[in-house]
Amino acid sequence: MSDKLEQELKKALRRVEPPASFAERVLARAAEEEKPGAPLRPWPQWLGMGGLRWAAASALCAALATSGLVYHHERQKQGEEAKEQLMLALRITSSKLQIAAEGVQQMNSPEENQP
Amino acid sequence: MTSAATALANQLNFEDLVREHERMVFSIAYHFLQNGAAAEEVSQDVFLALFRGLSKLESRAHVTFWLRRVTCHRSIDYARRNKNAAAEVSWDELPEQPPENNSAQRGDPMLSKRLRQVIATLPEKMRMIVILRYQEDAGLEEIAKALRIPLNTVKSTLHRAHAILREKIGAAIGEGNV
Repeated sequence: MSDKLEQELKKALRRVEPPASFAERVLARAAEEEKPGAPLRPWPQWLGMGGLRWAAASALCAALATSGLVYHHERQKQGEEAKEQLMLALRITSSKLQIAAEGVQQMNSPEENQP
Repeated sequence: MTSAATALANQLNFEDLVREHERMVFSIAYHFLQNGAAAEEVSQDVFLALFRGLSKLESRAHVTFWLRRVTCHRSIDYARRNKNAAAEVSWDELPEQPPENNSAQRGDPMLSKRLRQVIATLPEKMRMIVILRYQEDAGLEEIAKALRIPLNTVKSTLHRAHAILREKIGAAIGEGNV
């Protein structure tokens, strides 16, 4: 690395003065925070922005997991209902078949066919 | 909070800290973002974070390290949030640096401006490494700690930054392209 480039980089990146009254604006904002009625941050201080992102991601995961469970439960419930309906239909069909069979048997019975 | 930390918190006057470090904090954000208003926003947030966490800092050296680290990370976050605004800085958009009394320190203003324009095009981490190295005169280990990256990454990134800068402005400073 050449000294020349390093020197030019130091000159180009020398520290600059902040705008006028910068410190006063910072102190005013800090004083605002110290007031008893100052608005509270919507999340705890320890959480910070990184923590907030993690909390949001966790909440999203929890919501997805819950909706997955609800969906699975709904599907199971629908399946059970369909099974019950099928069983009922089979029972009805079976009883109708039994009535028909009895009818056929009566028609074939010799005593009852006699005048 | 330990008794040593309490004693330090009592010693450290927030206003003194702001006045002592405002140039450092503002300059890092300013050189990284190339925008005075954005740099002020980031710098104010950094000092407010310091105000809230003052009791947790262990020494004056820790305050400097902490401010440098938080300014770097908040500047990078700000640039990511406002990616379109900070994508590329044109020559006309580049702010002029305030005049320096010592003209030897100032150097060629056009060359400085061209250098800052090229630095603004560097990737985030590389740009911040260059700023910490040449604005803050920070050592490589110090940079690695501030940016929480391995020392070897700092070395290789700085090496690549030099190559890019030499390629783009080597002729202007009297060096041939590599």
